[in-house]
Amino acid sequence: MSTWPRRFATVLLLALGSATAAADVVVVVSPENPLSSLTRRQVADIFLGKSQRFPDGRSAVPLDQAAGSAAQAQFYQLVSDKRATEIKAYWAKMIFTGRGQPPAAVGDDAQMKQALAADPNAIGYLDQQAVDASVKVLSVSE
Amino acid sequence: MNGPETAPGTPGTAQAPRPSPRRPRWGHLSEPRVLFPLLSVLLLGVLWTATVGLMRQEYANSRAAAIAATQKITETYEAQIVRSLREIDRTLGAVAYAYSLRGSRLALPELNGRGLLLPPFLFTISITDRDGNLIASTRDDQTGNVADADYFQAQQGGTVLAAGLPIPDAQGSGQVLSFSRRLEEPDGGFAGVAVVSVDASYFVSGYEPTAMGEQGFLGLLGHDGIFRVTRSGEAITSGTRVSYDQVVSQGSDDLDMTPVTLAVNPWDGVRRYTAARALFEFPLAVVVGLSADEQLIPARTQARRYWQRSAAASVALLGVMALLGRLSWQLQQSRQREAQEQIEHAKRVEYMAHHDNLTGLPNRGFFSELLNQSLAAAKRYQHELAVLFLDLDRFKLINDTLGHDAGDDLLKQVATRLSSAVRESDVVSRLGGDEFVVLLPEQCDEASLIAVAQRILEAVGKPYVLAGNEFRVTVSIGISRYPDDAEDEQSLLKNADIAMYRAKESGRNNFQIYRAETDALSLERLNLEAALRLALERQEFSVYYQDQLDLGSGEVTGMEALLRWRHPQLGLVLPRQFLPLAEETGLILPIGKWVMETVCRDCVAQQPSEDRRVTRIVNLSARQLADDHLLRDLSDILRRTGIDPSLLEVGITEEVLLKDMPRVVEILADIRALGVRVAIDNFGASYSSLSTLRQFRFDTVNIDRSVIRDAAHSAEDRRLTEATIAMGKRLAFTVVAEGVETEEQATFLRAASCDKAQGFLFGHPQPREQLPV
Repeated sequence: MSTWPRRFATVLLLALGSATAAADVVVVVSPENPLSSLTRRQVADIFLGKSQRFPDGRSAVPLDQAAGSAAQAQFYQLVSDKRATEIKAYWAKMIFTGRGQPPAAVGDDAQMKQALAADPNAIGYLDQQAVDASVKVLSVSE
Repeated sequence: MNGPETAPGTPGTAQAPRPSPRRPRWGHLSEPRVLFPLLSVLLLGVLWTATVGLMRQEYANSRAAAIAATQKITETYEAQIVRSLREIDRTLGAVAYAYSLRGSRLALPELNGRGLLLPPFLFTISITDRDGNLIASTRDDQTGNVADADYFQAQQGGTVLAAGLPIPDAQGSGQVLSFSRRLEEPDGGFAGVAVVSVDASYFVSGYEPTAMGEQGFLGLLGHDGIFRVTRSGEAITSGTRVSYDQVVSQGSDDLDMTPVTLAVNPWDGVRRYTAARALFEFPLAVVVGLSADEQLIPARTQARRYWQRSAAASVALLGVMALLGRLSWQLQQSRQREAQEQIEHAKRVEYMAHHDNLTGLPNRGFFSELLNQSLAAAKRYQHELAVLFLDLDRFKLINDTLGHDAGDDLLKQVATRLSSAVRESDVVSRLGGDEFVVLLPEQCDEASLIAVAQRILEAVGKPYVLAGNEFRVTVSIGISRYPDDAEDEQSLLKNADIAMYRAKESGRNNFQIYRAETDALSLERLNLEAALRLALERQEFSVYYQDQLDLGSGEVTGMEALLRWRHPQLGLVLPRQFLPLAEETGLILPIGKWVMETVCRDCVAQQPSEDRRVTRIVNLSARQLADDHLLRDLSDILRRTGIDPSLLEVGITEEVLLKDMPRVVEILADIRALGVRVAIDNFGASYSSLSTLRQFRFDTVNIDRSVIRDAAHSAEDRRLTEATIAMGKRLAFTVVAEGVETEEQATFLRAASCDKAQGFLFGHPQPREQLPV
């Protein structure tokens, strides 16, 4: 069980065709979550407030990394092709017009893992090097 | 007569009916050149009035829509701003409460843990101490002192939400707005402030480019006249300073209706439908604007479309109208042409009905009309007029010898000459054949009549070139006058005709004025030709014979046949009265045959005895001699009658002999070959060349009566007569003297060795019945 999340992280990186030297983020859920994969679009929809549920109908609770963090910027670039400022403008508009609220944020990868452990419906992202048995890495396809 | 309204030679009655100059009052409207332009102008007027109306309506709708949209956006924006500010206010309230319970360090994490803070993603929440030092924040990088900030200072004495002026953010790429509330010590003293900071752009993120365009406007304006933030298209600014009272009209605040003004916004110079509303709970106002230019774009586009369609429709309309107009015009033109052609055709038909085809002169019918008009005028105004009746002399001969084409050509030339020989007001008409008639409608004394007639004779008498040869033709003219000679059309023409016959009898090529006394007697001569034609069948002709004696023995040796015509009304008509006509009409041929046959029969019947031979002498005319059938007819007669040809002698005048010499030589030879004797008549009258006459072979020479008469005068004349007789002797075996009337002449002739003689001395012509058998 400990080897295949790495494989998936590699698949994700290859699939997205993007490689950064510093850190690579992976999408993670609670190990209790039966889900094993999502499409990029499904991930983006959940994090941009367009969808509140996983494909199997369970409620999805997205968790964001801290605003302005490298992980956040990289994540949104990967799943939605949007830069951080665009995401910010997007949420500004959503909040201002009363149509939605951004995901709750956690301070760092450790908090992320904690939060995921606490909520089987949570979905988040973190640096792949921080992955451990407390989380399950989702394979993200196009 | 043919007065000013009718020129000679043109029919006065052939006037085309003119279209009436009066038209119905609006009749000219139906003219294509008026109707179609008028219709075009009317239709274009309607079209463009409708187009302009539609364009105006489009603009009006567009303006109304822009105003309505401005109002709606203003209301929405106001609601969004108020809600956002309330959330901020509530958050600050929560912070103040948490601060009072848990203190500055725990307040924020506590609230964050419960999800009571605004999303840190956009909002930064901080806490300061009473000196302005930042002591807690949702963001780690928020440190320092804000004691100078307006939102900090505002809370030292206040209790409500304060909205600070925009401050550039840490990156320098935007502006940050901060809102604060007072934090209090448990005793109510000033403990610091709770601050919510957010990008200024947040308050204009409701800008919808699809609804507001590139030039729309959203603005959040402080009561201090400073725009906290504005957005137009993608451009976001802060800190623009304006006059608050100018932008937000205080008096017109209305809960339901937001007043919208169309004005050039002073802050950026764009003309907008602008609305502003002051917020009740906060020291702020919202300003919304929609660019007039942008909002009217659809209207302009639509208006341009209308304009283009109308222009295209106008062009098409003008094209169709032009086409229709042209077609209609062509139709009208062709109708006019058709009508014109009908009129001209009618004119031609009428002209042809009134004019002679060949010469173009008025014909008999039209002349009669004109003459009657002239007569009526002459009667009314009591003046005279004259009619000249013209007949070409020997026209028949020309027609027969040169052919009808030449005859027609001659008639045309004569017509032209006649027309130019009289005045314009006179009428020249052709009655038919070679008969012309001239009407002198304002005549006239005898002198001028004579002048006109002489002018005509002269004009007609000039040589003509026909079929390449030059010819001379003369005319005989008879004249009758109104009222002296006749008072009606028929009598005028008849009398002129009678006078013309007298002119013919008087040797042709002259004119005669009608004389009632003499011409009335010869009225019947008008019918001479017809009577002559009938004379043969009615057996009105008879042959008289005059004896010819042998001067030596005194015995009758021959008898000259002389034609007599006993007309039932006229009595005996002399040959010289009708022979010219018979010769001219060709009637001489049947008459001559009849004479020849009669003489031959008489000869056979009355021959006295075998040993006493009496020759019968028949004269042949030029026309008979020219007849191709002469020889055949003659031999037929000889055979039929059984006459001894040597008892028949034909007489031919010297004049006739010389007309067509080679042919006549031949014919005479043929006649002699039949055994018939040939005599030359009137010898000596014209002193023909003896050598010429010698080419003929004669049996007898008849010395002309003038030569015999002359013999009585003087010795010199007698010698001349003797010479003539001697010449005759040279030509033929027998010489006969004609017209011997006295015994003295007879004695002289005997002395001159003349063979035979004929004349009253020896006997007058007698009918055959009185001849001694």
